[in-house]
Amino acid sequence: MLVETVFELLHSELVAYTTENKENDLSTLEYLGYSTGYRLIERLTREYPRFKDELDTMKFICTDFWTSIYKKQIDNLRTNHQGIYVLQDNSFRFLNNLSNGSQYLEYAPKFVAFTCGLVRGSLANLGINSTVTAEVHSMPTCKFHIQVNRT
Amino acid sequence: MTIHNLYIFDKYGTLLHYGEWNRIKQSGITKEEEAKLMYGMLFSIKSFVNKISPTDSKDGFLYYKTNKYALHYYETPSGIRFVINTDTASTSVKEFLQQYYSKVWVEYVVKNPLWNGAPVTSDLFKQKSDEFIKQSVMFA
Repeated sequence: MLVETVFELLHSELVAYTTENKENDLSTLEYLGYSTGYRLIERLTREYPRFKDELDTMKFICTDFWTSIYKKQIDNLRTNHQGIYVLQDNSFRFLNNLSNGSQYLEYAPKFVAFTCGLVRGSLANLGINSTVTAEVHSMPTCKFHIQVNRT
Repeated sequence: MTIHNLYIFDKYGTLLHYGEWNRIKQSGITKEEEAKLMYGMLFSIKSFVNKISPTDSKDGFLYYKTNKYALHYYETPSGIRFVINTDTASTSVKEFLQQYYSKVWVEYVVKNPLWNGAPVTSDLFKQKSDEFIKQSVMFA
Protein backbone atom coordinates (compact mmCIF):
# COMPACT_ATOMS: atom_id res chain seq x y z
CA MET A 1 0.00 0.00 0.00
CA LEU A 2 2.72 2.45 0.98
CA VAL A 3 4.90 1.37 -1.95
CA GLU A 4 2.09 2.30 -4.31
CA THR A 5 1.66 5.67 -2.66
CA VAL A 6 5.37 6.37 -3.06
CA PHE A 7 5.13 5.53 -6.76
CA GLU A 8 2.08 7.77 -7.18
CA LEU A 9 3.66 10.71 -5.38
CA LEU A 10 6.94 10.31 -7.23
CA HIS A 11 5.05 10.26 -10.51
CA SER A 12 3.17 13.43 -9.71
CA GLU A 13 6.44 15.16 -8.81
CA LEU A 14 7.90 13.93 -12.08
CA VAL A 15 4.95 15.45 -13.94
CA ALA A 16 5.27 18.74 -12.09
CA TYR A 17 9.03 18.89 -12.60
CA THR A 18 9.14 18.05 -16.31
CA THR A 19 6.27 20.34 -17.24
CA GLU A 20 7.35 23.22 -15.01
CA ASN A 21 8.67 25.61 -17.65
CA LYS A 22 7.22 24.16 -20.81
CA GLU A 23 3.52 23.72 -20.31
CA ASN A 24 2.65 21.86 -23.51
CA ASP A 25 5.79 19.83 -24.02
CA LEU A 26 5.35 16.31 -22.75
CA SER A 27 8.23 14.76 -24.69
CA THR A 28 10.63 14.66 -21.70
CA LEU A 29 8.03 12.89 -19.62
CA GLU A 30 7.25 10.49 -22.45
CA TYR A 31 10.92 9.71 -22.91
CA LEU A 32 11.37 9.02 -19.18
CA GLY A 33 8.52 6.54 -19.51
CA TYR A 34 10.16 5.04 -22.58
CA SER A 35 13.47 4.30 -20.88
CA THR A 36 11.70 3.02 -17.77
CA GLY A 37 9.59 0.66 -19.85
CA TYR A 38 12.56 -0.45 -21.92
CA ARG A 39 14.49 -1.52 -18.83
CA LEU A 40 11.53 -2.77 -16.87
CA ILE A 41 10.61 -5.33 -19.47
CA GLU A 42 13.92 -7.15 -19.00
CA ARG A 43 13.01 -7.81 -15.42
CA LEU A 44 9.34 -8.61 -15.97
CA THR A 45 9.69 -11.11 -18.77
CA ARG A 46 12.54 -13.17 -17.42
CA GLU A 47 10.28 -16.08 -16.55
CA TYR A 48 8.18 -15.95 -19.69
CA PRO A 49 8.45 -18.07 -22.81
CA ARG A 50 8.76 -16.11 -26.02
CA PHE A 51 5.58 -14.52 -27.25
CA LYS A 52 3.84 -16.18 -30.18
CA ASP A 53 2.87 -13.05 -32.05
CA GLU A 54 2.00 -9.42 -31.69
CA LEU A 55 -1.42 -10.06 -30.14
CA ASP A 56 0.16 -12.35 -27.57
CA THR A 57 2.53 -9.55 -26.61
CA MET A 58 -0.36 -7.10 -26.29
CA LYS A 59 -2.19 -9.52 -24.05
CA PHE A 60 0.85 -9.68 -21.82
CA ILE A 61 0.88 -5.87 -21.64
CA CYS A 62 -2.80 -5.83 -20.69
CA THR A 63 -2.55 -8.45 -17.98
CA ASP A 64 0.74 -9.15 -16.23
CA PHE A 65 2.52 -5.97 -17.21
CA TRP A 66 -0.37 -3.72 -16.18
CA THR A 67 -0.95 -5.68 -12.96
CA SER A 68 2.65 -5.37 -11.85
CA ILE A 69 2.60 -1.60 -12.32
CA TYR A 70 -0.98 -0.50 -11.72
CA LYS A 71 -2.30 -3.41 -9.61
CA LYS A 72 -5.14 -4.08 -12.03
CA GLN A 73 -5.65 -5.36 -15.55
CA ILE A 74 -6.65 -3.41 -18.61
CA ASP A 75 -10.45 -3.52 -18.78
CA ASN A 76 -10.81 -3.76 -22.52
CA LEU A 77 -8.50 -4.62 -25.41
CA ARG A 78 -9.59 -4.02 -28.97
CA THR A 79 -7.74 -4.38 -32.25
CA ASN A 80 -8.42 -4.11 -35.97
CA HIS A 81 -5.82 -6.86 -36.62
CA GLN A 82 -3.91 -4.41 -38.76
CA GLY A 83 -1.58 -3.04 -36.15
CA ILE A 84 -3.90 -0.78 -34.19
CA TYR A 85 -4.70 -1.68 -30.59
CA VAL A 86 -6.87 0.16 -28.12
CA LEU A 87 -6.34 -0.51 -24.42
CA GLN A 88 -8.98 0.86 -22.12
CA ASP A 89 -8.50 1.31 -18.39
CA ASN A 90 -11.70 2.34 -16.60
CA SER A 91 -10.01 3.52 -13.44
CA PHE A 92 -6.54 4.59 -14.37
CA ARG A 93 -4.29 4.94 -11.30
CA PHE A 94 -2.96 8.39 -12.02
CA LEU A 95 -6.42 9.82 -12.62
CA ASN A 96 -8.27 8.06 -9.82
CA ASN A 97 -7.67 10.70 -7.20
CA LEU A 98 -8.05 13.58 -9.59
CA SER A 99 -11.64 13.67 -10.70
CA ASN A 100 -14.53 11.48 -11.80
CA GLY A 101 -15.86 13.60 -14.58
CA SER A 102 -14.68 16.46 -16.68
CA GLN A 103 -13.21 18.68 -13.95
CA TYR A 104 -9.44 19.17 -14.49
CA LEU A 105 -9.73 17.50 -17.90
CA GLU A 106 -7.22 19.99 -19.34
CA TYR A 107 -4.55 18.54 -17.03
CA ALA A 108 -5.19 14.91 -17.97
CA PRO A 109 -2.56 14.69 -20.77
CA LYS A 110 0.19 15.40 -18.24
CA PHE A 111 -0.77 12.37 -16.19
CA VAL A 112 -0.92 9.87 -19.02
CA ALA A 113 2.22 10.86 -20.98
CA PHE A 114 4.57 8.82 -18.79
CA THR A 115 2.47 5.71 -19.26
CA CYS A 116 2.38 6.19 -23.04
CA GLY A 117 6.16 6.16 -22.98
CA LEU A 118 6.18 3.19 -20.63
CA VAL A 119 4.13 1.11 -23.07
CA ARG A 120 6.14 2.28 -26.09
CA GLY A 121 9.44 1.45 -24.37
CA SER A 122 8.28 -1.99 -23.30
CA LEU A 123 7.05 -2.84 -26.77
CA ALA A 124 10.25 -1.53 -28.29
CA ASN A 125 12.31 -3.94 -26.23
CA LEU A 126 9.97 -6.76 -27.26
CA GLY A 127 10.67 -5.96 -30.88
CA ILE A 128 7.58 -3.93 -31.70
CA ASN A 129 8.12 -0.45 -32.99
CA SER A 130 5.06 1.64 -32.19
CA THR A 131 3.44 4.98 -31.55
CA VAL A 132 1.41 5.24 -28.35
CA THR A 133 -1.12 7.97 -27.68
CA ALA A 134 -3.73 8.37 -24.98
CA GLU A 135 -7.23 9.72 -24.97
CA VAL A 136 -9.21 10.86 -21.94
CA HIS A 137 -12.85 11.84 -22.30
CA SER A 138 -14.10 11.43 -18.78
CA MET A 139 -11.82 10.70 -15.87
CA PRO A 140 -10.72 8.25 -14.54
CA THR A 141 -11.21 6.33 -17.82
CA CYS A 142 -8.28 6.38 -20.20
CA LYS A 143 -7.77 4.81 -23.62
CA PHE A 144 -4.32 4.05 -24.96
CA HIS A 145 -3.99 3.78 -28.73
CA ILE A 146 -1.08 1.72 -29.93
CA GLN A 147 -0.18 1.96 -33.57
CA VAL A 148 2.44 -0.51 -34.72
CA ASN A 149 4.85 1.01 -37.19
CA ARG A 150 5.66 -1.40 -39.96
CA THR A 151 8.64 -0.66 -42.09
CA MET B 1 -28.76 11.78 15.54
CA THR B 2 -27.44 14.23 13.09
CA ILE B 3 -24.40 16.05 11.74
CA HIS B 4 -24.64 19.81 11.38
CA ASN B 5 -21.48 20.99 9.69
CA LEU B 6 -17.79 20.37 9.18
CA TYR B 7 -14.79 22.71 9.01
CA ILE B 8 -11.30 21.75 7.89
CA PHE B 9 -8.45 24.12 8.72
CA ASP B 10 -4.76 23.90 7.95
CA LYS B 11 -2.09 24.62 10.57
CA TYR B 12 -2.11 28.33 9.71
CA GLY B 13 -5.84 28.69 10.24
CA THR B 14 -6.89 28.81 6.58
CA LEU B 15 -10.30 27.29 5.94
CA LEU B 16 -9.64 24.48 3.46
CA HIS B 17 -13.13 23.07 3.27
CA TYR B 18 -16.58 23.69 4.70
CA GLY B 19 -19.53 21.32 4.51
CA GLU B 20 -23.02 21.84 5.81
CA TRP B 21 -25.93 19.41 6.23
CA ASN B 22 -28.53 20.05 8.89
CA ARG B 23 -27.96 23.55 10.06
CA ILE B 24 -31.10 25.36 11.04
CA LYS B 25 -29.68 28.53 12.51
CA GLN B 26 -27.24 30.58 10.43
CA SER B 27 -24.72 32.85 12.10
CA GLY B 28 -25.61 35.92 10.04
CA ILE B 29 -22.00 36.66 9.09
CA THR B 30 -20.03 35.58 6.03
CA LYS B 31 -18.45 32.13 5.87
CA GLU B 32 -14.97 33.70 5.95
CA GLU B 33 -15.76 35.71 9.08
CA GLU B 34 -17.33 32.70 10.71
CA ALA B 35 -14.31 30.53 9.91
CA LYS B 36 -11.98 33.10 11.44
CA LEU B 37 -14.09 33.26 14.61
CA MET B 38 -14.20 29.49 14.77
CA TYR B 39 -10.47 29.11 14.34
CA GLY B 40 -9.77 31.81 16.87
CA MET B 41 -11.99 30.18 19.45
CA LEU B 42 -10.40 26.76 18.87
CA PHE B 43 -6.95 28.26 19.15
CA SER B 44 -7.87 29.83 22.48
CA ILE B 45 -9.57 26.73 23.83
CA LYS B 46 -6.59 24.61 22.90
CA SER B 47 -4.11 26.82 24.68
CA PHE B 48 -6.46 27.29 27.64
CA VAL B 49 -6.97 23.55 28.02
CA ASN B 50 -3.25 22.87 27.86
CA LYS B 51 -2.42 25.58 30.39
CA ILE B 52 -5.10 24.70 32.90
CA SER B 53 -4.68 20.91 32.76
CA PRO B 54 -3.51 19.55 36.15
CA THR B 55 -1.51 16.80 34.44
CA ASP B 56 0.23 16.56 31.08
CA SER B 57 -2.44 15.37 28.73
CA LYS B 58 -1.65 13.56 25.53
CA ASP B 59 -4.73 14.51 23.56
CA GLY B 60 -5.49 18.02 24.72
CA PHE B 61 -8.81 19.49 23.61
CA LEU B 62 -11.23 16.87 22.27
CA TYR B 63 -14.76 18.28 22.26
CA TYR B 64 -17.28 20.48 24.03
CA LYS B 65 -20.98 20.06 24.49
CA THR B 66 -23.89 22.44 25.00
CA ASN B 67 -27.43 21.29 25.62
CA LYS B 68 -28.18 21.57 21.89
CA TYR B 69 -25.07 20.37 20.10
CA ALA B 70 -21.53 19.04 20.49
CA LEU B 71 -18.39 20.30 18.77
CA HIS B 72 -15.68 17.71 18.12
CA TYR B 73 -12.10 18.61 17.35
CA TYR B 74 -9.47 16.37 15.79
CA GLU B 75 -5.98 17.53 14.93
CA THR B 76 -3.47 15.46 12.99
CA PRO B 77 0.27 15.57 13.78
CA SER B 78 0.71 17.56 10.57
CA GLY B 79 -1.65 20.23 11.84
CA ILE B 80 -4.78 19.66 9.76
CA ARG B 81 -7.76 20.42 12.01
CA PHE B 82 -11.12 18.76 11.58
CA VAL B 83 -14.07 20.29 13.38
CA ILE B 84 -17.49 18.72 13.26
CA ASN B 85 -20.73 19.75 14.94
CA THR B 86 -23.15 17.00 15.82
CA ASP B 87 -26.10 16.53 18.14
CA THR B 88 -25.28 15.66 21.75
CA ALA B 89 -26.06 11.94 21.46
CA SER B 90 -23.34 11.10 18.91
CA THR B 91 -20.58 8.79 20.11
CA SER B 92 -17.08 7.87 18.89
CA VAL B 93 -16.88 10.94 16.69
CA LYS B 94 -13.12 11.02 17.13
CA GLU B 95 -12.78 7.63 15.42
CA PHE B 96 -15.10 8.87 12.72
CA LEU B 97 -12.93 11.92 12.08
CA GLN B 98 -9.81 9.75 11.96
CA GLN B 99 -11.50 7.59 9.34
CA TYR B 100 -12.57 10.65 7.41
CA TYR B 101 -9.01 11.92 7.46
CA SER B 102 -7.43 8.71 6.15
CA LYS B 103 -10.16 7.61 3.73
CA VAL B 104 -11.31 10.92 2.28
CA TRP B 105 -8.80 13.67 3.01
CA VAL B 106 -5.60 11.72 2.31
CA GLU B 107 -7.06 9.90 -0.69
CA TYR B 108 -8.73 12.73 -2.55
CA VAL B 109 -6.86 15.81 -1.43
CA VAL B 110 -3.35 14.84 -0.40
CA LYS B 111 -3.01 12.34 -3.26
CA ASN B 112 -4.46 14.74 -5.79
CA PRO B 113 -1.42 16.10 -7.63
CA LEU B 114 -3.24 19.32 -8.47
CA TRP B 115 -3.82 20.31 -4.85
CA ASN B 116 -1.29 22.86 -3.64
CA GLY B 117 -2.38 23.57 -0.08
CA ALA B 118 -5.07 26.10 -0.95
CA PRO B 119 -8.79 25.67 -0.16
CA VAL B 120 -9.99 22.50 -1.86
CA THR B 121 -11.77 22.91 -5.22
CA SER B 122 -11.90 19.28 -6.34
CA ASP B 123 -15.44 18.12 -7.12
CA LEU B 124 -14.40 14.52 -6.56
CA PHE B 125 -13.33 15.30 -2.99
CA LYS B 126 -16.57 17.17 -2.30
CA GLN B 127 -18.60 14.28 -3.60
CA LYS B 128 -16.66 11.63 -1.63
CA SER B 129 -16.78 13.79 1.48
CA ASP B 130 -20.54 14.18 1.23
CA GLU B 131 -21.00 10.44 0.65
CA PHE B 132 -18.80 9.55 3.62
CA ILE B 133 -20.71 11.85 5.97
CA LYS B 134 -24.10 10.70 4.74
CA GLN B 135 -23.17 7.04 5.15
CA SER B 136 -22.13 7.43 8.76
CA VAL B 137 -24.32 6.12 11.55
CA MET B 138 -24.40 9.59 13.07
CA PHE B 139 -25.99 11.17 10.05
CA ALA B 140 -29.26 9.21 10.08
